[in-house]
Amino acid sequence: MRVLRTAREMGIETVSVFAEDDAAALHVSAADRAEPLGPGPVIRTYLSIPAILDAARRSSADAIHPGYGFLSENAAFARAVSAAGLVWVGAPPDAIDAMGDKLRSRTRMEKAGVPVVPGSRGGIGDDASLAAEAERLGYPVLVKASAGGGGKGMSRVERANDLEAALAEGRRIAAAAFGDDAVYLEKLLDRARHVEFQVFGDGRGNVVHLGERECSVQRRHQKIVEETPSTALDADRRRKMGEAAVAAARAVGYVGAGTIEFLLDAGGRFYFLEMNTRLQVEHPITEETLSVDLVRAQIEVAAGAELPVSWRAGEPVARGHAIEMRLYAEDPVEFLPRSGTILEWIEPSGPGVRVDAGVGRGSRVGVDYDPLLAKLVVHASDRAAAVDRGRRALAEWVVLGVETNLDLLRDVLASDAFRSGDYSTDLVPSLLRKERAPVPDAAWIAAALALRGERAGRPPETADPWASAESWRP
Amino acid sequence: MGVGGELASVKSGVRVVSGGEEREVRLAPGVAALGDRELPFREIRDGGGEELVALEVAGEIFPVRVARAGDRVFVWCAGRTFEVRREIVAAARRRSSGAADAGAGLLAPMPGRVRRISIPRGERVAKGDVVLVLEAMKMEHAIRAPRDGVVTRLDHREGDLVDAGAVLAEIS
Repeated sequence: MRVLRTAREMGIETVSVFAEDDAAALHVSAADRAEPLGPGPVIRTYLSIPAILDAARRSSADAIHPGYGFLSENAAFARAVSAAGLVWVGAPPDAIDAMGDKLRSRTRMEKAGVPVVPGSRGGIGDDASLAAEAERLGYPVLVKASAGGGGKGMSRVERANDLEAALAEGRRIAAAAFGDDAVYLEKLLDRARHVEFQVFGDGRGNVVHLGERECSVQRRHQKIVEETPSTALDADRRRKMGEAAVAAARAVGYVGAGTIEFLLDAGGRFYFLEMNTRLQVEHPITEETLSVDLVRAQIEVAAGAELPVSWRAGEPVARGHAIEMRLYAEDPVEFLPRSGTILEWIEPSGPGVRVDAGVGRGSRVGVDYDPLLAKLVVHASDRAAAVDRGRRALAEWVVLGVETNLDLLRDVLASDAFRSGDYSTDLVPSLLRKERAPVPDAAWIAAALALRGERAGRPPETADPWASAESWRP
Repeated sequence: MGVGGELASVKSGVRVVSGGEEREVRLAPGVAALGDRELPFREIRDGGGEELVALEVAGEIFPVRVARAGDRVFVWCAGRTFEVRREIVAAARRRSSGAADAGAGLLAPMPGRVRRISIPRGERVAKGDVVLVLEAMKMEHAIRAPRDGVVTRLDHREGDLVDAGAVLAEIS
């Protein structure tokens, strides 16, 4: 959807691809044309390089934009697209390869003079050598999958006794998820902040950064709230981190939109964590504060254009403050994915509010895809106003039928830590101990009115064997 | 409040639960009884009277939206969302007396696919052992034994799709 909108603004004809089950999905009806990928699991549809290239041929497409999921960071796909004579609107395959393996990218960054998180040297070793490395680093440590991402295969180890089990589990998950069981260790930095820099290269010698995004509000090592600018950076640190981000992107000959992720420890030291060789989910907050369209820039660079003059001129100047809140279909305590049908969906709107949604009323939320339903982005003149605007917009959002993290998002924005700007990656765990506010009288009455509906002659929406036997008859 | 007569004509209410809370709600025209409290209310509807968009309760207006699926009602009320279920007392009792030991069943915490069965039927397990691994949304979730025992029931095979709340295994 995000890409389709910009393409339409640029007068580019669009073709969506879709799996059989998604024939009614929003991205299908929003394109000029849609090509079916056939039935079956994602491995035979959205993850199938031949199926997608076939669809591109059928529709005589000129270029492929991979979005931000599925094959967006797949070097083989990038090469196949170019080999088929199509323009690839994404990172160069060599850069994807170089950054896709976390261990190799760490080594590469060290060589480029970019600081990296203290971690196991040489990486892939047996349990004994990794245990020795863990002692050297000092517990707690993180076990990470070399080929990983999104927190998969990652676990926190507090003491030596737990290391062996964590390594075995990490290898098993890594092998299943990425086809590569290599794991390594990193020193766990407590009360660290997760700050990333948007970078952009044009393949003509220009690499710039477009400021930072603060991504410390996480659960299960996945981001749920991001903001820019970060309250943790002063002008000097922003300049140093920006320079390091540009150096990192240059080191791999980067072209297009990418993100350099850093950890910032309580003492203000920063370390390279990883590079995402694609457009990030959270890119809209950068677009809002800089008044740019990153998808447009991706397409222009892929078509051979230089970066805009203003980007090359130097430090970008952010106007105001933007916050993104991610709506996930999940239970609010353990964050397990939830599925179901969205029975009611009313998006927030009004000044400074943008919603990028992939679902709507009637959408089926399945178990096979990422449970991210939508992103809410607010923009205001300063941080306090942006937080207020975010709270207002969250309160307008009606999502019924599937459990979501809406209440957690509300708790985050209402928390003293977030409002003060002084928070770290342990913010979400600290909020979970909060007691739930009681159900208001009006909600009980509304529920009772809805349950009475069948008495008034309206049939219940789903047949339920208990309803006939036990239903309330006044 | 002078509505006792009206409420008396309502033979029974509906027992509803949400989170850890429970209420008996009885409705009469313009008045609701929540437990022993009586509250005057007015429905504000839109879309030709079909859609409830707000409730005025005791003089205060609360925007609401509701969606119902069987005995479950999803309620959005003044910026917060609740799931309310009709409590079926008799049915719940019947079900719990039917199962020999309600605590023995391992239930699927979400819909997903059985990725791996670690301990087959008939084998002994110790508390905390991973009995099977469920996969949903590309994430794996270990289902562990709540206590020591023997796996007496295991209806699924690796690769099976299961619904949330499905009995995955029983330990006795």
